Amino acid sequence: MTFPSLGLLSQSVLSGLFLGGMYGLIGLGLGLSWGLLGQINLTHFGFVFLSAYLCYHLTMVWGVDPLLTLGLLVPAFFAVGVVMQWALARFRVSTFNSLLVTFGLTVMIEALIQKIWTADFRKLQTGYGEEKFSFLGLYAPLPELLTLTVSAAAAGGIWLLMRYTDLGKAMRAMAEDAPIAAAFGVNARALALLLSGSCVALAAIAGVFFALSFTLTPTQIFSWVGVVFAAVMMGGLGNPLGPLLAGLVIGVSEALAMAVFSPSWAPIVSFSLLIVLLLFRPAHR
Amino acid sequence: MSKMAKLAAAAAIALGALGVLGEAQAQGAKPIVVGSTLALTGPLSATGLVHKLVGEIYVDDLNRRGGLLGRKVEWKLMDDQSKPDLARTLYEQLLTADKVDLLMGPYATGAILSAIGVAQRYNKLLISHTMGIPSLAKYDMHFPAWSLGPNPQATVPTTVFDAVAQAPKPPKTVAIVTSKFPSVHFLSLGAREVFKQKGLTEVLFLEWEFGNRDFGPIAARVKDAKPDMVWSGDIGLEGNMLLEAMKKIDYVPPLHVHTYPAPGPMAAAPETDKALSLTIFEEHAPFTANPVAAQFVKTFKERATAAGLPYTAVETQAAASFTAWRIFEASVVATKSLDDRKMADWLKTAQVPTIQGTLRFDRGNNFGDDLMRIKQVQNKAWVTVWPKQWAAPGATIKMP
Amino acid sequence: MKPRIAISILAVGAGLATVPWLGLPAFYESFLYLLCHWIVLAISWNILSGYTGYFSFGHGAFFGAGLYATAFLAGKQDWPFLATLPAAALAAALLGTALGAVVFRVASVRGELFALLTLAVTFVLATIILNTPIDGGPGVYLIGVQLPRLGPSANASIYLMGLAAAVAAVLLAYLIHAAKLGAGLFAIHDDEDVAEVMGVPTYRFKLWALALSCALAGIAGGIHAVFVSYVTVAETFSIAVPLGVVLMSILGGSRHWLGPAVGAIAVTGLQYFFTSGEAAVTGRALFGLVLVLAILFLPGGLLGLLERLRRKTPSPVAADAKPAVQPALAPSPAASGTPLLQVEGLFKSFIGVRALEDVTLEVRKGEILGLVGPNGSGKSTFINVVSGHYRADAGRIRFEGRDLAGADGHRFARAGIARTYQIPRPFAQMSVIENVALARMFGGVGCSRAEALAEAAEFVAFAGLGPHAQARPDALNLHQRKFLELARALAARPKLLMLDEVLSGLTPAEIDEAIAMIRRIRDRGTTIVFVEHIMRAVVALVDRVVVLNHGALIAEGSAAEVMREPAVRAAYLGTTHA
Repeated sequence: MTFPSLGLLSQSVLSGLFLGGMYGLIGLGLGLSWGLLGQINLTHFGFVFLSAYLCYHLTMVWGVDPLLTLGLLVPAFFAVGVVMQWALARFRVSTFNSLLVTFGLTVMIEALIQKIWTADFRKLQTGYGEEKFSFLGLYAPLPELLTLTVSAAAAGGIWLLMRYTDLGKAMRAMAEDAPIAAAFGVNARALALLLSGSCVALAAIAGVFFALSFTLTPTQIFSWVGVVFAAVMMGGLGNPLGPLLAGLVIGVSEALAMAVFSPSWAPIVSFSLLIVLLLFRPAHR
Repeated sequence: MSKMAKLAAAAAIALGALGVLGEAQAQGAKPIVVGSTLALTGPLSATGLVHKLVGEIYVDDLNRRGGLLGRKVEWKLMDDQSKPDLARTLYEQLLTADKVDLLMGPYATGAILSAIGVAQRYNKLLISHTMGIPSLAKYDMHFPAWSLGPNPQATVPTTVFDAVAQAPKPPKTVAIVTSKFPSVHFLSLGAREVFKQKGLTEVLFLEWEFGNRDFGPIAARVKDAKPDMVWSGDIGLEGNMLLEAMKKIDYVPPLHVHTYPAPGPMAAAPETDKALSLTIFEEHAPFTANPVAAQFVKTFKERATAAGLPYTAVETQAAASFTAWRIFEASVVATKSLDDRKMADWLKTAQVPTIQGTLRFDRGNNFGDDLMRIKQVQNKAWVTVWPKQWAAPGATIKMP
Repeated sequence: MKPRIAISILAVGAGLATVPWLGLPAFYESFLYLLCHWIVLAISWNILSGYTGYFSFGHGAFFGAGLYATAFLAGKQDWPFLATLPAAALAAALLGTALGAVVFRVASVRGELFALLTLAVTFVLATIILNTPIDGGPGVYLIGVQLPRLGPSANASIYLMGLAAAVAAVLLAYLIHAAKLGAGLFAIHDDEDVAEVMGVPTYRFKLWALALSCALAGIAGGIHAVFVSYVTVAETFSIAVPLGVVLMSILGGSRHWLGPAVGAIAVTGLQYFFTSGEAAVTGRALFGLVLVLAILFLPGGLLGLLERLRRKTPSPVAADAKPAVQPALAPSPAASGTPLLQVEGLFKSFIGVRALEDVTLEVRKGEILGLVGPNGSGKSTFINVVSGHYRADAGRIRFEGRDLAGADGHRFARAGIARTYQIPRPFAQMSVIENVALARMFGGVGCSRAEALAEAAEFVAFAGLGPHAQARPDALNLHQRKFLELARALAARPKLLMLDEVLSGLTPAEIDEAIAMIRRIRDRGTTIVFVEHIMRAVVALVDRVVVLNHGALIAEGSAAEVMREPAVRAAYLGTTHA
């Protein structure tokens, strides 16, 4: 085996970063609603795909620019998130049970997509896919670059919000101890509605960028669950930066393994790394 | 012949005909029920609808032509949800509870093997749509509609080699990259052997796990290896993902062969131009010179459009499905019976004309000839380029 | 354990075993097999995750380990099929125990991190199998494997094996649930640290739960290998198994031993119901809808409903409990002056904070020792270390001459030490009487579950909680929860009882009552370490006082003497700030 060239290695790292950015973008809303609302929201994956399909439809059928579809999809999905939280709160769905409820919802969304667009593959063909930047012999395609940028901006923005604004502090307080937070005047119900709406809106954003880079089929929804769950849990629930960082670690370590060894062994590198990190991370208590 | 004898013969024929007619009328109320499952939901359902549409088209047409043995044909279709264990149970239900007359196979390898197991236990004939690993289909009453011969791991790469030898610049080196998906992996391993024997230099061999999402490093490694040809053992979207990843690093492989790409996306994307692949049928002459094929292509397009499918052309999946029903009809008509054993015995010696060519089932595990052809994306459409007698008029293999 | 239930399980199993001879269409065997298959897997998951709360997202790995053990041994090494099943169980159990032996030592890997770990193990195992001769890529085809002739047909044989596994799984789930093991696992589920301090050997119990769970998943995998007859990595390690077992357990009710079985039947049956080819996609949507509605209206799962109905009828035992009963405590002579507990040079620090610094003291048999000091002086840490809740950094803890420092928490309870928590930490999902019985079962000499439940009623009554015996702790007020803490500690029949601010928050009348009760406890022979801020109670109760400040012992003696010490006055009045 010849040692891989530096160009190959750097290009592979870049490729891993881009995929990690996607993991992070999908995982962001999932981790927030899990950590702050106590919901393991499998529907998040369904929403990502639904948004991707809607973006596909708006672009391919109505000729809207795919990035402009965000203007419609984000508020619409925000509203969906608010309604969902209202219903989950109304029925007092526990964390454990939320897994089953949201699984059922995901199955319904999957069926809905299959009913409208069939299970056959759909690919959003746009000018964005043709654009790429190159520097020092490395290439960065526009859709992936946008995904990574948006993923980092969203994660960083939410981190700043949660850390430095009253609203963010109230959210963290609510997650830590709802009754005490309520005693200090935090309107937990309204906050939960806002948060759930935001998480689903984040799913909509992820969906649009997903559609820019990936070919769609509804039956792929569940194939993303494993790796994105891993990124979210590794990154720390409720931590906005966590899923992105963990996603990048998974993406880059796998890409490097692919560049150096056999690609089919790649998962063992990333997930062994994950296991080691898990066992040796400092205890939080 | 004496007058009496002639009369007697005529009477016998008339009586016989009457008898057949009477029988047909008597049974007219009771249709022939054919049972099968397809992956209509779940991970494999992307192509399930194609097979469902083809089955419906064929059965409708069959009934319009008067059915089989004078009886209507009814298709009892169930959804195996892409689960082989459920496929097995449903086939048992079809046979032992619903008591269908005959079976038709499903389309994915796992489900087909499940169905073969059931058919074997109940001595039923099973015609399968797309059985990709001939060596696993050991049941003597299983008949494949997808004619790839008993040793595709040797014959298919040979066909590919012969095809690319006709290219403007025949390859001297090859990079073999492959998914570990069973039905493509063994083909890729075979390709390694064949290409070595044919004198090609292997500059890269890579395997990835089915379900891999990051093709960037693989594309970069192929680019670094600078092969004259890329053999990509891919299935479904993998081929598209590999080519997208190559495009992202500004690399266009000189010649690239893909085993089982999703036909729609592979034909449509800008970066997939000149991609080579395997096929048994494409909707152009000489295939469509057969009026049955021409009619099928037309009907399929209508039904697929109505069903909202994005890709409405007939290619391997739809053609194999259509062929399966054709084999089924031929064996019932030829044996004039619904007896599985009789039909199987007939098929073993028969030559069945189908839209993909004449099929026979007289070699290993009832696989006959390898009818795999080579197709290429040219101007966003698939055209067959090899062998010459099946190539689209004037079409030759082109370089990107 | 009720033999009636065990016999019923076996009887149902025997009844179902006659199916192959009833002349039903053969597909019923396959369908029933699928039910059995998922019953085994769902129960397997629940024994670990439902009982202990360690949420596994990696049952695909344990199932896959068993499936591939059989596929490899029967399909490639030509082992007889039946011989591969123990190997399948063993392979999965070994994988699980090896994982558990490492992971269960790391206290931070709980909750979602355990789920993550098991998920990661699934990916790793799948990758190994895919790239080694175990599979290597082409899948393993098992059609030539000879099945044992258990029934009239091959189908029947597979069904009977699946049924046997399902009966074994249900029986195992029930036996664990009814045994001490089950009680310990449920305690771990609610509060692992408290469970350990009460004498539950949590590490060993968790390993047992994991090993049994994995063995069941492995068996299910082994049998399933021949049912599907063609096994591939992608199919085996898909998200279907880990997700499916969770959903089934939630739907059926994960707190009931039979819940996952009911959930497995419901989900598998429902999926089978929607297999019409005509409306496959609509069927899938309806399947999703039914799941959503089911859990919205039955939050405790299908069997949770049953439980809820049962809870509504009050237990007659609770109403009959008489508060006047004096429960038996540990037999021990009255104050003798001989040391029961000797602590020498005890150190404990947390990140940046010295909580105990070179503490040396002695607790004598039969006395009430008061432990006082300002907030943050290390009193609670002292109790936490001496009860085994925390491990000491350095020092000796000799109890009746044996050194317990460094031992696992449950050893302290076994040796005869019990404690209360300042902020009550009852096992939230257990009733009051179950809470108390648990302490009796595992603390001190311990006893069987049945005995513990019988005796627990006395302690519940003694603590004045008789009417609430069947209630959940969250239905109690603070005062009642404090007495529940006390009842639990007493039920262990401790030689040494450590009370951490049991009186705070009580009214003066209640305090008087409590003081009298503590005296009675001591009078029956229990040595007591008493942490309290309410000086009236300290003066009234204790024989000796020890004062801690900033983690160090600053004074020791009678209450009156100690209060005169300048260091003590400085510590309390905060002279440094004055």
